[in-house]
Amino acid sequence: MAVSLNNAPHILHQELALDTYLKTLLEELPVAVPSPPPEATPATPPRTLQPVTKPLVKNPVKQPQTLKAKAVRQEFPPCALPLAVMPEWAQHEFQAIFFKVGPLILATPLTELSRTLKFGRVITKIPKQPSWFMGLLEDQGKKIGILDTSQLILGKSKSLNRDLIEQPFKSMLVTQDGNWALACDEVLSIAKVTPEQVRWRTDRQSRPWLIGTVIEELTAVIDVSRLTPRRKGG
Amino acid sequence: MSQSQEKQNNKGLQWVTFRLGDEKYGINVMQVQEVLRVAEIAPVPGAPSYVLGIINLRGNVVTVIDTRNRFGLMSKETDDSSRIVVIETASHIIGILVDSVAEVVELHTSDIETAPNVGNEETSKYIQGVTSRDNELLILVDLNQFLSDDEISELDMF
Repeated sequence: MAVSLNNAPHILHQELALDTYLKTLLEELPVAVPSPPPEATPATPPRTLQPVTKPLVKNPVKQPQTLKAKAVRQEFPPCALPLAVMPEWAQHEFQAIFFKVGPLILATPLTELSRTLKFGRVITKIPKQPSWFMGLLEDQGKKIGILDTSQLILGKSKSLNRDLIEQPFKSMLVTQDGNWALACDEVLSIAKVTPEQVRWRTDRQSRPWLIGTVIEELTAVIDVSRLTPRRKGG
Repeated sequence: MSQSQEKQNNKGLQWVTFRLGDEKYGINVMQVQEVLRVAEIAPVPGAPSYVLGIINLRGNVVTVIDTRNRFGLMSKETDDSSRIVVIETASHIIGILVDSVAEVVELHTSDIETAPNVGNEETSKYIQGVTSRDNELLILVDLNQFLSDDEISELDMF
């Protein structure tokens, strides 16, 4: 499909807007994060929470939020070509789980995850680890490393404003290999996303875990395999 | 692998467990000399922050390490449960102050998993592994790595 000349400035303008939006959200600044614009919050209907501890991929999709891609075209101007090497899941329609971490709504493919867990169980803290490593939780015979997603994504300076005793995380998303879990405030929903609905990043040298943005909802798409650390043993 | 090799690799070791804050730790029983109630610890001027001071143990001067400080935990006043565990590292005898001493447990090598080390190699190298015990995780400490060579040299100055 060719991009008409009339559409090109529109697409460029849209991508610039997205870049600015993400930069504002993710840039490490000592000031508080501005609230996302109203369109960043899904309006209606309220997202369906998925049952906890069941394998995510086996869950039926409740209220699938098939996003419309009317404003986006697959072809990008030469300055914004998608990455040559994309994860396998990013190359066709995928089911994504949408979750909330502080002011951010994030999405990641279900195939990267195995289950969700609720906070409330004992987390064993390992001494002298980075502050984003919250500790270990034993579940189904695995010792899962719990990660403070807020710190990993927003950076330490912004997350230090959050008091985890007063504002504890409520859920965690366990990775497919069961080694890590991403702490989050709320699991929102599961929805199908097509590659055309995502503005894929062209350069992942900085924030390699940020792979793109679901354009309509301004939701950052996270590559979990690049966000979680490499586990040395265990 | 032959059965005897497997048995050898899965040998049982005894560990003394102690508490610091909410967590339970284990150290190799073979390196524990004795466990003392907390008596007077004489501060050493100019000592690093992880050194609480020195005690006189039957005529020998033993340096007491602030284990909470070492593990990056908030300090806490000693109480009736606090103990000084006198341990033998590769080259020194030192005391480590802990919140309480719990028990001696036997663990097999196969029970021990390497802790995910995402931190600085230098600061977390003394975490030997973790194991599950009585519905909680026990963090196993390698006492030979507890202090660096430079830190051990520093202890010689007291």
